[in-house]
Formats: sequence, structure tokens, C-alpha cells
Amino acid sequence: MRPQTNRLPATTGKGLAGVHIDRTRPIRFTINGRVTPGFAGDTVLSALLAAGVDTIGSHAGRPLGLRASAAPAITYAAQSVAPEHALPMERTPARDGAEYRVVAEGPPPGLFARLFQPGRTLGLRLDAAKGLARPWRSVHGHLVEATDLIVVGGGVAGMAAALAGAHAGLAVTLIEASPHLGGHSGLFGTQDGESTPEENVATLSAEIAATEAITVLTHAEVFAIGEGMVRMHRLDIGGERVEGQVIDLPARHIVLATGAFERLPVLPGNRLPGIAGAQDAFELAYRYGIWPGQSWLLATSGNPAYRLATLLAESGMALDRILDGRDHASSRYIEFCKAYGIRQFPGTVPLGIAPGAGGRLLIELPHGEPVSVDRLVLCGGWQPDLTLWHLAGGESRWNTRRQRLEPIGEVSGLMLAGSAAGHFTRRGCVTSGIHAVDRLLGRAGHGVDDPVIDAIYETPDRQMHVADSEDATAPTYLDADNTLMLRPAPPPRRRSWHIFRGAQTGPVRVLSEAPQPLSIGAICAGVGIGLIPPDSAGIVAQERVALVPLARAKSSHAPAAQDFATVPPYLAGRFGTDAVVTTLRHDLSRHLDSGALIFEGEDMLDPRRAVGVVLRSHDGKTEALVAASARKVIVRDLGQSIPAEVDI
Amino acid sequence: MSEAQLDFAVFGSSALAGLVAGLLASQHQRKVAMVGEAQARYRLPRTLDMSVAPITRPETWALLKASQPDMSRLIARIGGRHALRRVDPIFFADERPAREALGHFAHMARAHGMILETVPPAKIGTGRTALRINDAATIHRPVFEPALETWLAKLDIPRFAPETATMAPGGAAVIKTEGEVLTARRAILVDDSAIFRGLPSRQWPAPLLRRQHATILTASNRHLASPIMTQLDSGITLVEHEEGGMAAMGPGSLGVFSSALAVLLADAGQLQQVGQVGYETLIPSDGAPLLGPVASDGPLILTGLGPIGAFLAPVLARWFAGEASSDEAEWCEARRADRRAPEHSVAEFNFPIEERAA
Repeated sequence: MRPQTNRLPATTGKGLAGVHIDRTRPIRFTINGRVTPGFAGDTVLSALLAAGVDTIGSHAGRPLGLRASAAPAITYAAQSVAPEHALPMERTPARDGAEYRVVAEGPPPGLFARLFQPGRTLGLRLDAAKGLARPWRSVHGHLVEATDLIVVGGGVAGMAAALAGAHAGLAVTLIEASPHLGGHSGLFGTQDGESTPEENVATLSAEIAATEAITVLTHAEVFAIGEGMVRMHRLDIGGERVEGQVIDLPARHIVLATGAFERLPVLPGNRLPGIAGAQDAFELAYRYGIWPGQSWLLATSGNPAYRLATLLAESGMALDRILDGRDHASSRYIEFCKAYGIRQFPGTVPLGIAPGAGGRLLIELPHGEPVSVDRLVLCGGWQPDLTLWHLAGGESRWNTRRQRLEPIGEVSGLMLAGSAAGHFTRRGCVTSGIHAVDRLLGRAGHGVDDPVIDAIYETPDRQMHVADSEDATAPTYLDADNTLMLRPAPPPRRRSWHIFRGAQTGPVRVLSEAPQPLSIGAICAGVGIGLIPPDSAGIVAQERVALVPLARAKSSHAPAAQDFATVPPYLAGRFGTDAVVTTLRHDLSRHLDSGALIFEGEDMLDPRRAVGVVLRSHDGKTEALVAASARKVIVRDLGQSIPAEVDI
Repeated sequence: MSEAQLDFAVFGSSALAGLVAGLLASQHQRKVAMVGEAQARYRLPRTLDMSVAPITRPETWALLKASQPDMSRLIARIGGRHALRRVDPIFFADERPAREALGHFAHMARAHGMILETVPPAKIGTGRTALRINDAATIHRPVFEPALETWLAKLDIPRFAPETATMAPGGAAVIKTEGEVLTARRAILVDDSAIFRGLPSRQWPAPLLRRQHATILTASNRHLASPIMTQLDSGITLVEHEEGGMAAMGPGSLGVFSSALAVLLADAGQLQQVGQVGYETLIPSDGAPLLGPVASDGPLILTGLGPIGAFLAPVLARWFAGEASSDEAEWCEARRADRRAPEHSVAEFNFPIEERAA
């Protein structure tokens, strides 16, 4: 059994000891037969990461990091691999004594590989197209009783929307994918005059718990949306075993408070094990007390990541340096980092990341020697999560100044709220949640108060990317999600180079033809590296979202009797206005096909000189459409000439 | 502000629009501008450009047969050898009306020198009639479209955003940009979106109907019996991508089409949709192309040509330039948008679906 090598000490300050785990209640479970320790409150994923399992397996010839946004599904070892039994390891509470196994397409690791694979990997080979599929997406939903208002997302905006709906007299269902309400506001800190994110979340949570009209569904991820309906995959954690269920929930109104996600910088090696986003890294530490390794490096193009550095400054984790893709960024958190004496390199982007000795990462810099660290936190700024918005038919547009996709237009019965709607501050998110409900109910409300600090003091996020390099030793991904979309291969400069390219880049050359959904992250990356024109980004995002149809399949097209015409319209006028439908007398041993052309002379071949055509043969008769004057004719069928006479 | 004069403003982003514009400029020395987004290739395909279609009129087959070799050479010259893919598409039918239509199409294709094979039920499904057409050509959009833009630029054909152009009396178009006003003596509306946007409702031809269409991109590990397959009963076309996955296009709203596709591909197991778009398209009520002037004072249109439109581009350009042969002119005149008469039917096979008047 691997010890929990990546767990921070219980005494770690700044709230990074893991608020959701109970260190007095150790548990252990097995996954693919491997014993894994954890604590009550862990998910299967967090327990694995705490035990140092940070690799899913191999993809494109390189190890692929395990993270919440890209983790294989699991099932109980005794259950079949049917889609309805699959569970997401990032949402599934780890249970003492449980025996799990990984659900994945592709060849399972053999006995030798299982015995001798390094302890940090699950050992999957992910080059199969659906290596990280979410099997429950193919399950039809169980229809449940409708509610008045569905709020998707249990962050501060969603919680505020749920309360506003309940105060307006609506029955509300608040749906949150993770095990807890609260969302992702923790990393972003506090502005002047505000309570802390933790205090704010605690107050809202308490109020929701005391409000009878609000039903809270945690561990429930919405993955499809239609007019007045959402489809979710929900975990029932009440029994001895965690069970998944796909539910269709109708509602009059829907608020999407799906938050913002952190973009993956587009660099070679950007999904190697040991790499995490700033938000992921913060939440693993805050919720579960997890921080792998002892040394780390931060490469960012957004300010909140600097706050992570300040929170960890007194934890004993050695931060080598901070690289910032922006030349002259300003932020109060940047100043705090300076006060801690952390080395900062503005205008610097890693050129690539490679696996180093001893499981460390080797980070290539534009100047100087590569830096070797245990962990790299990569932050490419934040993007509103518009996936469900696009699924619902919503539109979006690329904002060149803010370098992100932003929603435009309206969808009937649906409102966006919080950072999904493009708001920046916690206050903006809370007020937008209330405003969204006001708008759905046709009330003017008080609008949104989003006190964004001036760009002079808080420099906006930017995307981070580097030019494609044929010399890169690790693949470049466009997003951190489970589609595993690789940066499309550039046209080969020389054939000999092409032969030896190996698997550095994917086989897709044109993003629009990629046989995968394009996540919003991949589209943002595509704009950043010039694969998608900014003007087309919104359309591409809307078209390339992975839609799950909520309607059931209907029967195929079966033409009604009246569809059938004796002379189909496409033959009208072909043989003159006086053409007649008649029968042909011919050698009955020959069956004549529909469409066989009829000529007046044996040497005629040009279809434009045909005087008729066989309509159909049935009951030993051949029905034809022929010019009124035709009598003795030749029918041409499959290269043969069959004499016939027209019945008068 | 200066004012310059053009002969034609071609509205559209499709291969057909670009080819007609380029041919008018290069072969007929007309001054031409394009109006439309140049980035159609980033979107899911709405149409397919292919050298065969379920055509049932001999004069259309004759024209296509005559035009295709030159057109294939031109496409290859513009976009290189990868711009044109050779394919053996399959056309198939389940029900009697569609089977009969397939028979008419097959005899016409064979009469024009095409080689057809019957596809065995083991490959296509029992109770189904299917024919494979040997050696058709299809335009490979990701390769061809960028090359087409380069070609048009070399011909000094500027491209303007749709918002800059308006229709003017007499079928003309005015393009206003910063510091410049361009007047085109005749507007040619090619893509459906251009017709929707630019054609005044009072000039709308009666036979031109709106139809809901959808495109769905799916991820699938299974190969189709052919890279391109069309079901005549429903109008669903399946296009397998080289990189994997499959695009399906056909009539119906997104929900209806998705259901129809699920039924058609039920044997393939669960389909994972990785992209989808619903849109309106135009379909002439008799299935035949609608070409040329919509009214004495209206713009020119090109619609209802189906997959073969791009392969007829030289014919259409010659007709617009007044340099068509007598056969070409006769074919085009018979399909004029302002002279469609029931007594001179040029109807073609039409996929059965509910349409509505525009």
C-alpha cells in the first residue's frame, strides 16, 4: 500500500489542511486490486492523488496526468461494465473496504504490466478513441417530477439564484457536480469591504439549508439540456454502495451558474503528470490537504494564481520562481509575492515541459538551464464555462480584448449567472444570480453590481501559448479535458522530418474535421494559436459542443400511401406532354428494372432520344411511361436490348 | 469617397460561389467582388460538393459529363491534388418510391458512362437496394477552401463582409466600405444564407421553399460501406472523414434529424454527437435548380443545384457572361427562376419532406 505521500500536514495554515477530510477516520479501498489509503471525506480521485497516483497511463506515447477534468470512470469490481454502473472517480466518495476497477476502452494492462508498472500510474493505454469516455452519457434519463426553477452550479452565483428563486415562491432544485456547495471562489480572495469567500459560502449554505423550497442535489452533473429540461448524472451516496442514476428533470426556468474554468496553456508537455492548474491545485489543498512534492514552479498569465503562491509561502513548499506570460502585470497578489521574496520573471513563458529524473519535471525556459521541480502549476487564465449554454442553443462571441468567449443573445426560459455570464467579482456573481431569477420572472430587479478593479491595478488574464515545435519531446494538448485533443500537426516541412515525427502531435490537421467534440478550452486554444479565426470562435463553439439529444428516437421515414405516384414528378414532361402510362409486351423471362430507357431504334443510345422509360414491373407486367406515338420499341436494360411493344 | 464599378458581386462562401466568381474574372474578364465570410471551413459542412447526385434528367447528366473533366482539372490546379478526392459513393433506398428513383438514376448514370455496382445486402442491410458509383470526385473542403481564397486573391477579387453590401434596383448591389463605394451591375446570390439575407421578399420565386436541415458530426470507430452514402428515402447523406468520425447531413430540425439518424444507424450502436447544427436551406419545389434572374429588376440566383453545383461552375459562369454554348444556354434558360412553367417541366428527383413556402 502506498502511503499518503502527497498529504499536507494537518497543521498546514491558510486553510490548506483539507476542510472536507476527517483525518481521524482513515479508510482503505482497492482499485484494480491496488490498496489505496485515504480519509473519510476523500473522493476516489483525491485519495489516489494523495497516495501519489498522478498518472492515468499513456497517450500519444507519453504519460498523461490524472486530474479531475480528465479521470477514467470506475465501477465496483463485482459489477459489470454496463454504462449505468460507471461512476466518476472525481465525484465518487471513497468508501472503506470498497473494491473498484477502472472502466476504459482499449487493452487492459497485462499481468506483467500490473506487477511492474510504476506505482504512480493507473496503467491505461488511451489511444483508443473513447479512452476517457463518460459511459453514463449514453443512458436514457429517468423522468422525474418537474420543478419551477433549476439552478445548475452550486457556487456563490448559483446559491444566490436558488435563494432568490425560493424567496419568489418557486420550488427550486440546485444541482452541484462536486460533493459540496461553494464553487471556486476560494482562490480569488477578497476585495475591500467583503467577507472572505469561506464566510460568504458558509452564510449562503446555511440559508439554503434552512429554506424548505430548495432541494440541493450534490454529486450531480448536468450533461444535457433541452427546452425546459436538464439531464443529469447523479450519485446516490445514501446506501452502502454509491449508485449512479441518469435523471431527466423538467422545469419552467433554468439558471446556468456553471462558473469559469482555467485554460490550459498550450505548451509541449502540458499534461504530463505533476502538472496542475492553479484552481485545481488550490482546491486539492483546500478540500483534501493534497500537495504533491516539495518543490514547485508557477507559470501563469492570470493574477489569482499568485494568491496560491502567497497561501503556500509558509507551508515549506519550495517555490522556485513565478513565470508570467504578461510583460507588465499588476496585481495586489503580485505585490504580496514580491514581499515574500519570490523570484518573478515577467514576460516569460515555458517553452516546454519534459519528464525529468526521479519523476520530476524538467521545464525548458527561453533563457538559461532547464529547471527541475516536483510540480508545475500552469495557469492560462479563466474562461466562462458556456458548454451548457451552447448545448441549449445559446450563442457566444470572442472578446479580443479579454481574450475569451463571452455569451451573447438570449435563450427562452434560460439565464446565465455568475462567472459563466462573464462576471468577475464575487459580488458580481452573487448579484447576477439574483438578477437572473428576476429576469426569468420578468421583473426589473436591481441589476448586477460587478465592481471590477481597474486594469491598471489588476491586469486582465491573457492566454498562454508557444509556437509549435517539431522538436518537442512531449505532446501538446489544447485543453485539460477528457477529449485528449492534441494540437493539430503543422504541415511537414520536409518529408524526411515527417517520417521521424513520431507521435509528438496528433493526426488531425484541421480542427473542424476532428472526430471529437471541441471543448471551449480547445476553441480558446485554437484561437490563441491561430487555428480558428476569432470571428468564427463563437460559431465553432456552438456547433462543436457534444450534444446529447434529449428526444427519443422516432421511427424511420415510412412514406405514406399517398406519397406514391404512378408517374413520379421527376419524369414529368420527359417524353412530351402527351406521354402515357402503359404496359409493355415483351419476353417475360426478362425482368425490366425501373428506369430502363425505351428507344424507337436499336442503334440509339443517347438518353435524350429515349421515348419512354420503365416505371416498374409487378405481377408479370411491365409498366412504362412512353411518348404517345411510340409502338414498337427497344428497352435498354443493363447493356442489353429487349424488343417490346406498347400496349394500346 | 470614390465609386468604382464592378460587373458582378458574388454573394456566398461556398466552393460554387468562389468558382463562379473566379471563372467570371479569369475566363471572361469580368470585374468581380465576393461578398461573404471566407471561413466556412471552420464550420460544420452544410453541403457536399460531388460530381454525382441522384439526377434523373438526361440533359443535366450530359452537361455534367461534359463539364466535369475541366472542372476537376481546375480544382486540382487551384488546390493541388489533395483538393479533389476520388470516391465510390453509395446511394441506397429502402421503400418503393425511392427504389424506383434509384433505378431511374442508375440507368441514367450508366447511359452516361458511369460504372455502377450493386452493393450486397451483407454490407448495406437486408431489404435495402444500394448502388456504388465508381470513381466520382468530391472536393476536399479543408484543403480546397484556403487554396480557393488564394486563387481569388491572385485574381484581384476582393472579399467583403455581408454587412457591407445591399441590394440596389435592377439587380445591382452596392458595397460600402470605409472610403469606398463599389457598385456591381449585377448581384449573384449563390449560397442559401446569401439568398435569405439578400433576396427581397417581393422578388422571391414561388417555387423556392424553405426547409429545415441539420448536420451532425459523430465520433465512430466503425467504417461506413463507402466514405459517402446517401439514402434516397430520407435525403440523409453520410460522409466519413479521413481523420475518423462521420458527418451526417439531411432534412429536418436538429431533433428530428438526430432521431432519424439514430434509426438509420441503429446497427452502429450508440452514436456520440461531437458537433451539430440546425439551419434553414432552400429547395425548389420540383427539385430542379433555379438559376438566373428572379425578376426583371432582381438579382441573379443559383440554388437547388445540390452536390453537383461546383462541377457545373464553368457552365454557369459562361451563361452569366453570355458565352454559353447553345446546349448550355438551353439548359440554363429552362431552369430560369423567372420563367419556370409547369408545361415545360425540368423536375428532378426530390427527397420527400415537408417544406414550407418562404
